[in-house]
Amino acid sequence: MDTISRRKFLQLTGMGAAGAAATQLSLASIVEAAQTRPMPTGTPILVVVTLYGGNDGLNTLVPFKDPIYSASRPGISLTAKDVIPLGADDLALNGTMTGFKTLWDRGELAIIRGVGYPVPDYSHFSSMAYWQTASPHSFVNSGWIGRWLDTQPHDPFKAIGLGSVLPPLLAGVKNTGSVLPLGGLVVPKGIVAKEFKALGKASVDDSPLQAAVSASFGDLFNLSKKIEPVLAKPAPVPDDLPSAIGGNFGSDTSLSQQLDIVAKLVGAGAPTKVWSVSLGGFDTHADEVKAQSALIGTVSTAITKFLSQIHATDRANDVTVIVYSEFGRRVKANGTNGTDHGTAGPVFVMGQGINGGKFYGDEPSLSKLVNGDLAVTTDFRDVYGSMLEDVLATPVGQVIPKWSSKINGLTLKA
Amino acid sequence: MATNPDRLPISRLINRFGFGPKPGEFKSLLNLGLAGAQAKLLTPPASDAGLSKVVEPDFPDRGKFPTPGTPERVAFEQSQRSDRLNLELWWLDRMVLADHALTERITWFWHGHWATSLGKVEYGRPMKIQNETLRKYSLGNFGDMAQAMVIDPALMYWLDAGSNVKQAPNENLARELMELFTLGVGHYTEDDVKAVARGLTGFNVDRSAATYTFDPKKHDDSSFAILSTTGSWNAQSIVNLLVARDDNRKFITDRLWFRLMSTTTTKPADIESAFNNRQILLTVQKIASYVTSADPGISQVRSPVEWFVAVCRALKITPSTAQNRAQITNYLDKLGQVPFNPPNVGGWPFDEAWLNIASTQYRIGFLTYLLGQADLSPIAGLSGLQMEQALADWLGIPEFSTRTKAVIRSSGLTTAQIVAMAMCSPEYVVNG
Repeated sequence: MDTISRRKFLQLTGMGAAGAAATQLSLASIVEAAQTRPMPTGTPILVVVTLYGGNDGLNTLVPFKDPIYSASRPGISLTAKDVIPLGADDLALNGTMTGFKTLWDRGELAIIRGVGYPVPDYSHFSSMAYWQTASPHSFVNSGWIGRWLDTQPHDPFKAIGLGSVLPPLLAGVKNTGSVLPLGGLVVPKGIVAKEFKALGKASVDDSPLQAAVSASFGDLFNLSKKIEPVLAKPAPVPDDLPSAIGGNFGSDTSLSQQLDIVAKLVGAGAPTKVWSVSLGGFDTHADEVKAQSALIGTVSTAITKFLSQIHATDRANDVTVIVYSEFGRRVKANGTNGTDHGTAGPVFVMGQGINGGKFYGDEPSLSKLVNGDLAVTTDFRDVYGSMLEDVLATPVGQVIPKWSSKINGLTLKA
Repeated sequence: MATNPDRLPISRLINRFGFGPKPGEFKSLLNLGLAGAQAKLLTPPASDAGLSKVVEPDFPDRGKFPTPGTPERVAFEQSQRSDRLNLELWWLDRMVLADHALTERITWFWHGHWATSLGKVEYGRPMKIQNETLRKYSLGNFGDMAQAMVIDPALMYWLDAGSNVKQAPNENLARELMELFTLGVGHYTEDDVKAVARGLTGFNVDRSAATYTFDPKKHDDSSFAILSTTGSWNAQSIVNLLVARDDNRKFITDRLWFRLMSTTTTKPADIESAFNNRQILLTVQKIASYVTSADPGISQVRSPVEWFVAVCRALKITPSTAQNRAQITNYLDKLGQVPFNPPNVGGWPFDEAWLNIASTQYRIGFLTYLLGQADLSPIAGLSGLQMEQALADWLGIPEFSTRTKAVIRSSGLTTAQIVAMAMCSPEYVVNG
């Protein structure tokens, strides 16, 4: 399949109902909140980037010198000319990830290797549910950020997902994150504007879905005067981009669009501590090399640009980005120059507060596979532990019951 | 208007088991009464005069992509683009022109179920052939449909089963065949996925011709177990095994209920027994018997294609011959739904996913484009209460809310503006 999206995941995990309860915010309301009660600088902000479809970890962080790697993947293994070595190590980044290399050299990128959970599940939907709920093999109807929201005073602006559907990670038991749909705004003008606006008036006859249609008219027309300058203003200008990647920022991928809006709203002082963005298309069963390289290159470029934009604001020290996917892929290629669903993969954590330029967790051995798959060396809940305790200042056990560990030393605070 | 209790259930019937009324149709259904309307809308006729007006485009085998950078490649890309647009508009034409739209409506459901995308298949020909297969079996036997689909060239190519050899089986089709098409997640093991992948080896698809060949030498015919049944397997015996499972009965009836009736209300227990023999029409009729439900969870958002087709049926616009017809797929793309282009193998999103500020403004823009070429005669010359009632009957709306009544009766609006308001109204975008 081409793309696994958040929507498909919601639909098949039966968590769509959680989405129904989510507040849909307008850009105007967020900008207004940023202006009336801006978040103090110095408040930590976490940006969660979800890669849907199962990113191939072995062609992302590449063991290019390992003969088992090239022997297992004739036709789709990357060689020295296709990768960017990370120092003296035998691991290298996919050659498209020049942005991440820059962050690594600056000490702002940490790579956690072999991340997964015990007894892998190979269904996109089940595995993504385990990651987003932080509850492998036992279904709970709340996400890990949602349960973090439950520990906080209620505020619809505290955690926001970009897009029209609530990602399950933002659904809590008491509190739930909000969604911010993408799309430009062209407000109708002239004689009909008044009547269209009147369709935004609630009616007692409305079902909840009809009320949502009506509310969208209200949102469309109630753009406050204050918002326009903020949105019209270009995102903060990156002032520190190395020339190697400086020319590549024109592409308007959906991930960079999402992050562009996040950068503007962070810069404007939005009272939001967690942002969720995503990219799909990583399910590369066939003709993998070109597609996967392009996608992971997009991730690297979009996030590097985003962090450069943030560096140009007064919140340069506040933002941490985490990137994960529901599983890695099989070590051996299949017969169609692709890979089937696998297990462990790398997780990337970035920001000025990260103790970066180094690896955490052991690299899974290619000679000690479990049923043909990489062995998990690091539990993803340990990575969440670091994000919760070191970034969001909340004990991990309050969010993931009975969990108490984290990745030691991952952040400069820890 | 004195509220006729049949208005809501008949509105549900004509919208969920069709694509909304043509002018005058809702009123004649009301005259038939609920039982009569049910019988009429849920029994496909032997022939359809509306469909005879559809112009069939030809989708020849375009052959392989020529080398990039050559003049042949440029011409080739142009014919591919025009094939894609012709294909999309051809199906929209069928939805709009069919007098009895049940078959097109349920074919549309199956397109979302076996969701295959032109984005990867690229050629019009295999997608058209798949669409004909889905239509042929749309109201027939699910087992027959699954047999035809597992060897459908477009589906096989889409899920990487088009060059599958026993030395290195590809699991993509095998997994989705069980997870998304027949059983549902959790009703098979990882060993079953690997085994089904082995059983599906040996095929080779010619994508542009939309044909396949089977090479027994590349097929794994050794004996192994699938779902605890041991044997030597092929595509046909695997589908027989999967479709006979009780999990298949539950899964398919769940999906039909979810898409046709409610994404939130639980499926009534008696629907599964209608699917005992995998008869789709019988099951659809059983589901349709719940249009009288008072459960608010039955309320459903029209997806962009469902909304657009209903608009065209009411306004007598034929998509393929519309002015600036490429605008149609442009707007549908902005709204997030173009036929033959599902976002992924899981099919289209639903309900709230279609409701946001962006979709609201695109609906307004889309209507502004369409209303310039529309037949507005059903309310021409009418005003006040008379106009409001004629509008509700024309569009198949059970009853306008007090809010929308006030809006459409504002002074100074043209007929086209009134129709735009009604077609953007919550009562039209959401089927109650």
